[in-house]
Amino acid sequence: MKGIYLDHAATTPISKAVLDEMMPYLKGSYGNASSIHALGQTSREAIDESRERVARFLNCLPSEIVFTGSATESDNIAILGIADFFLKQGKRIHIITSKIEHPAVLNTCEVLDKRGVEVDYCNVGKDGVIDVSDIEKLIKENTVLVSIMYANNEIGTIQPIIEIGKLIQRINQTREQKICFHTDAVQAVNYLSCDVKELGVDFLTLSAHKIYGPKGVGVLYTKQGTQIEPIVYGGHQEAKLRPGTENTANIVGLGRAIEDISTHKHSTDVMEQLRDKLMDGILNEIKHSRLNGSIDHRLPNNINVSFDGAEGEALVIALDQKGIATSTGSACSSGSLDPSHVLLALGLSHVQAHGSLRMTLGRQTTEKDIDKVLDVLTKIVKKLRTISGYKKSLASERSE
Amino acid sequence: MKKKENLKVVVAMSGGVDSSVTAALLQRAGFDVTGVFMKFWTAPSSGKGGWNRCCSIEATERARKTAQQLGIPFYVLNFADEFKKRIVDYFLEEYKQGRTPNPCVVCNKEIKFGLLLEKALGLEADFIATGHYGKIQCATQCKLTKAKDKTKDQSYFLWQLNQKQLKKVLLPVGGYTKKEVRALASEFNLPAAETKESQEVCFIETTTADFLKKYLKQKSGDIVTPDGKVVGKHQGLWFYTIGQRKGIGLSSGPFYVISKDMKKNVLTVSKDKKDLEKKELVAKNINWISGKEPKMPYKVMAKIRYNSPLASAVIKEKLSNGRLRIVFTKPQKAVTPGQSVVFYKGQELLGGGIIC
Repeated sequence: MKGIYLDHAATTPISKAVLDEMMPYLKGSYGNASSIHALGQTSREAIDESRERVARFLNCLPSEIVFTGSATESDNIAILGIADFFLKQGKRIHIITSKIEHPAVLNTCEVLDKRGVEVDYCNVGKDGVIDVSDIEKLIKENTVLVSIMYANNEIGTIQPIIEIGKLIQRINQTREQKICFHTDAVQAVNYLSCDVKELGVDFLTLSAHKIYGPKGVGVLYTKQGTQIEPIVYGGHQEAKLRPGTENTANIVGLGRAIEDISTHKHSTDVMEQLRDKLMDGILNEIKHSRLNGSIDHRLPNNINVSFDGAEGEALVIALDQKGIATSTGSACSSGSLDPSHVLLALGLSHVQAHGSLRMTLGRQTTEKDIDKVLDVLTKIVKKLRTISGYKKSLASERSE
Repeated sequence: MKKKENLKVVVAMSGGVDSSVTAALLQRAGFDVTGVFMKFWTAPSSGKGGWNRCCSIEATERARKTAQQLGIPFYVLNFADEFKKRIVDYFLEEYKQGRTPNPCVVCNKEIKFGLLLEKALGLEADFIATGHYGKIQCATQCKLTKAKDKTKDQSYFLWQLNQKQLKKVLLPVGGYTKKEVRALASEFNLPAAETKESQEVCFIETTTADFLKKYLKQKSGDIVTPDGKVVGKHQGLWFYTIGQRKGIGLSSGPFYVISKDMKKNVLTVSKDKKDLEKKELVAKNINWISGKEPKMPYKVMAKIRYNSPLASAVIKEKLSNGRLRIVFTKPQKAVTPGQSVVFYKGQELLGGGIIC
């Protein structure tokens, strides 16, 4: 049975074009990009070209691109690096983030919180979207950083980054202590404009493996003139912000993957139609199901639904047994014990937050896949609900 | 009946030798096997992550590796919340009330043959299987009997199961001795072949007293002898269990804990072991595995702790509140409220109750 993959928010398959471009650097061209000789130079050229490709995509200078080991690392370099810059001067600083950030941001902010940095976690509406005025209210005299994700990894809701960027630029005009704006754009890159000038961001995180590139490589856009301390020390690579020998093949793959995004723009419309078909199908055909997060401000490939009487974990396993790969929330949190912090932030109860199913479509998803998923999912939910009934009968058989 | 290869079994795999062999045996017998690892609650600790003997990363990895080797699907089920609510909270509440609970009995009923069974049926499984040492035979009725290896028999822990559950459960290692199971593990070349036994309560890292100290407050009171003489102070009645000798902290002993008075907060100890003996007990939360209550008085062999020997007894009568009065032929040592009293007839486990 050919499997159906609906977990593109966790990771995407590596595209053939990307892999083909990477192969020479995994096989013959092994030179260290910092070496003087020709073999080294071949690697350097490849990295430089990739840097240019990424810069074109983000509408920035190549020198503003820092290649990292992952998006998590990019988030850490940005947040800890900015904080360290001020902490080394003995300043008391304040950071604003949101309650629905990826753990890479949330847990990093919590570490700073413990180190004495003031951190505010902005609320989101029931629709999973931040209100810009809520950010404005949180800004204080000693605020140095606002870090808000571009699109949420669990429920796909798109945050008003342009508006927040404008707000910060306006406030910065009359402020001595400027505020930096960082966005984790990992989930957005495939579908939304990441023109950093348009967004008004100083730092932006992205990852290759969510855009049909290899795992283990990310980018941190760092605007020229921003002040940041390294968090890892070593050689001169990547403007000393990410020392260590460059992973040439992965960086090349990232460059190609990012360039290919524009050639796949048309397929986004098709994807959205398929997503709507699946979403409408579920909400119409399966009673007591509901969509988590806004319909309007949402990535075109994301569905996050809850079903009364059927748990997310059970749904994912049952679907997997039918060859359909999905997820409960984010892959990063599935190893943890807690219910989704994102769904809790939306105001869902603990039980409801345990009961969600995330399906994220990709370039390869077909209408046939969607029909099949709808058919299988309907049956599985029905089955699981029968078992919940069974559960009650089991309980009643127990004595005293 | 479906053909065996179409019969689907979900095996609870802990990474240990018994459950690994369970999975391998069922696969060899031709079942369609899926492995699951149950993640239980872990106590918050100062180090990284929490601590639970049966849910360490090594155990998960070993279970996963075993599944991979057998070529069966494998999933980790997160039962942490439920485990905390139904097992750990129960455990603490029982101690708070002065009783000595048996969390494994409740875990079997609520988690392994409760939640897991529900999940498995949701996956269209025909059976679930565990590495328990016990035997189940089902005709029109299901019977639960002792394992082949009498020294490893775990039927004591399964007395709360009912017919509906037993019908869906397979315990393949019950037909083998531990030695044979170890040999099978080597034969199947399973990663767990060399793993050690786990016997303690899984969510307790060091001792029960250490664990309780973290969750229950100290409340000191008098320690008295049966004639009412005050001989010392205790730290809180929940830190003591009936029959306990070590850790009472009295000189000129040895003393044994013979009773706890929760209302007066008094611990009674005695030097005379005879004071520990009782001929009678009352049990509550009664379960009959057959689903039918026998006519009383009813002669059985009874066990008042997992490690105590079988003793001849008569279930005298059912009291008005549904409890049973049980009288032993010979006096029993350390009859402890909260522990399970379990009834056998020959090899068959009939049921049991919680000692009041």
